[in-house]
Amino acid sequence: MTAMSRPLQIASRIAASLVGGWVFVWGLVMLGIGALLRGGVPYEDAQTAMYLLAFLVYLAAFCWTYAAASAWRVWLVLLGGGALMTAVGSWLAGPAAA
Amino acid sequence: MFPSFRLAMSWLHTWFGLVLGYLLIVIFFFGSLSVFDREFDRWAIPDTRFAAQPLPSYDRMLAPIFARMTPEADELEAARGRVKAPLPETLKPLNWSAYTTHRDPVVGLYAEYAVPGNPDDPEDHVHGHVTVDPRNGRLLRDDQLKIGSEFFYPMHIGLHITWKNLGYWIVGLAALVMLAALVSGVVIHRHLFREFFTFRPQKHIQRSTLDLHNLTGVVALPFHFFFALTGLTIFAAMYLPVSESMLKPQATAAAMAEAQQKHLPYAAAGVPAPLASVDAMVSEAKRRWAAHDMAGEVGYLYISHPGDRNSYVTIYRGGSDRVALLGQAIHFEGTTGRVLYEEPQPSAVAKVNEFLTGLHLQQFEHWALRWFYLFGGLTGCACIATGFLFFVEKRKRKHAAQGHAGARWADAMAVTTVTGMLVAALAILVANRLLPEDLPLRGDWEKRTFWAAWLLSFAHAAWRCRPMRQGLPSPAWFEQCCIVATLAFAAVALNGVTTGDHLVKTLFIERYWPVASVDLALLAVGLLAAGVARRLRLRRSVPEVHVRTANAEQAHAS
Repeated sequence: MTAMSRPLQIASRIAASLVGGWVFVWGLVMLGIGALLRGGVPYEDAQTAMYLLAFLVYLAAFCWTYAAASAWRVWLVLLGGGALMTAVGSWLAGPAAA
Repeated sequence: MFPSFRLAMSWLHTWFGLVLGYLLIVIFFFGSLSVFDREFDRWAIPDTRFAAQPLPSYDRMLAPIFARMTPEADELEAARGRVKAPLPETLKPLNWSAYTTHRDPVVGLYAEYAVPGNPDDPEDHVHGHVTVDPRNGRLLRDDQLKIGSEFFYPMHIGLHITWKNLGYWIVGLAALVMLAALVSGVVIHRHLFREFFTFRPQKHIQRSTLDLHNLTGVVALPFHFFFALTGLTIFAAMYLPVSESMLKPQATAAAMAEAQQKHLPYAAAGVPAPLASVDAMVSEAKRRWAAHDMAGEVGYLYISHPGDRNSYVTIYRGGSDRVALLGQAIHFEGTTGRVLYEEPQPSAVAKVNEFLTGLHLQQFEHWALRWFYLFGGLTGCACIATGFLFFVEKRKRKHAAQGHAGARWADAMAVTTVTGMLVAALAILVANRLLPEDLPLRGDWEKRTFWAAWLLSFAHAAWRCRPMRQGLPSPAWFEQCCIVATLAFAAVALNGVTTGDHLVKTLFIERYWPVASVDLALLAVGLLAAGVARRLRLRRSVPEVHVRTANAEQAHAS
């Protein structure tokens, strides 16, 4: 981490805030729709509800990326969390629930 | 990376605000103009300067026009490259639709045509579009540009970058950054209440621009936050297309189940059958709306698979008197005119979404709010523009001393996106009145004028920023203000001369607000630009004193 130059650090944060943030929000939408479908909410409503929430979370993730102390943790939480939520969401939404 | 939360937010605000601010101000400005898109359309196409009309008779007027409509030539050409076998002579229409609002004298007709034989996309289709004068059924020339709804509005939502929807993604990124700029701005400044009332125009420029930046940012904060956020949610399905990728099976199953529940045929039967009277369906829809105490006009008419046995007709009520864009849809069986399904009240989630979307798109009838939207949007432009000025003021002397070009380029870009954007927007209006009436592809020439004027204003700003090497202001601001004033007054004069609809007529003799208000706004822009130019010239005539006092004040402030 200390070996990284300042421009590289900034590039990493910008990439994390945009790409990482997007992956995280994608996961959140997948997880939310999956959970709501399981809860008996119609598909359209589940999707709309998650879309209304999505960009507020994106905003929070975006700001947090620059405030967080460790860039590695940011990448881990955003990409790891996004992937995990996507996986759980797909499983919840699975053909059985549809 | 940053020692404190506030410094992190400050970095984010400064750099994202600067770089994406150049885009944001464009999006805010053309969004503000889009609030009056129909009025710019009337100004630009004098043939359409008459009162708003309800949807005309389908059976007598629209049906034959739909039947004669054809796909857009350029879309058809592109589609030929996507298919294996040559396309048939005529393409089968997938649907026809008509859309109108309480501000539309003319009605837009739209069609989608199936493109058979695309191995990559079984649902491939192309579009057709015409504009009809509902008083007599005449078609408008399709090479005339509706400057408001076909140029300013697409600029607001996609910057006219159509390749792979890239423009929408850039605008989305800018909206996200706008939200972050608002949050980080609040974190940096903290004195939210005090800044509401603080503007010290007599202080040196850096202080007064910062005051104005904070004031405009804080006063309209909820407004700006709302528009940036709903701008994103409106296009959420594009930014996060879960239903077209990972959740496609679930989405398709849900859509088919819904169609079945509403007795709406999902696909064409392939058996030709004539359409029953659509006018009778419209009467029935109006009767049902009135029975629910919601008497109203048709906003959107949709005919799926016209000429097929499985055709159905959906009639939406125009939302002039409520925030939601359209609603209270009633579906009819195309061949019989029998009601298939009447949409119930939307669910709570859908209602919230309709309300937020409707509040952003603002097609309802509320003129006071319409003007408020314009000023709210322009406040956003002022906030972004003063942000640029503050950025430059803070650095220009240091950069001049160090031989840095940073502040100089930031200033040239600011000139381009503030006064240069006005020059371009006015140039397209002036071109609209100056180009010969019968020029083929007239609208394309208007667009070219717009881009050329903007490019020239950038070249001018870059060329004239030389005095900034000495830490002096760029004369480009003054010069472009003069051009803005000239163009604005010229546009009003040209409208009067070429159409005869001068302000005396549109205000007092045959009152016509759509054109009168555009003219009045142009006069206001002209006066404002002339006033700013005058102040800039006064300031330029005493640069030495000014720089010295500013330096002293800055030393004092820091």
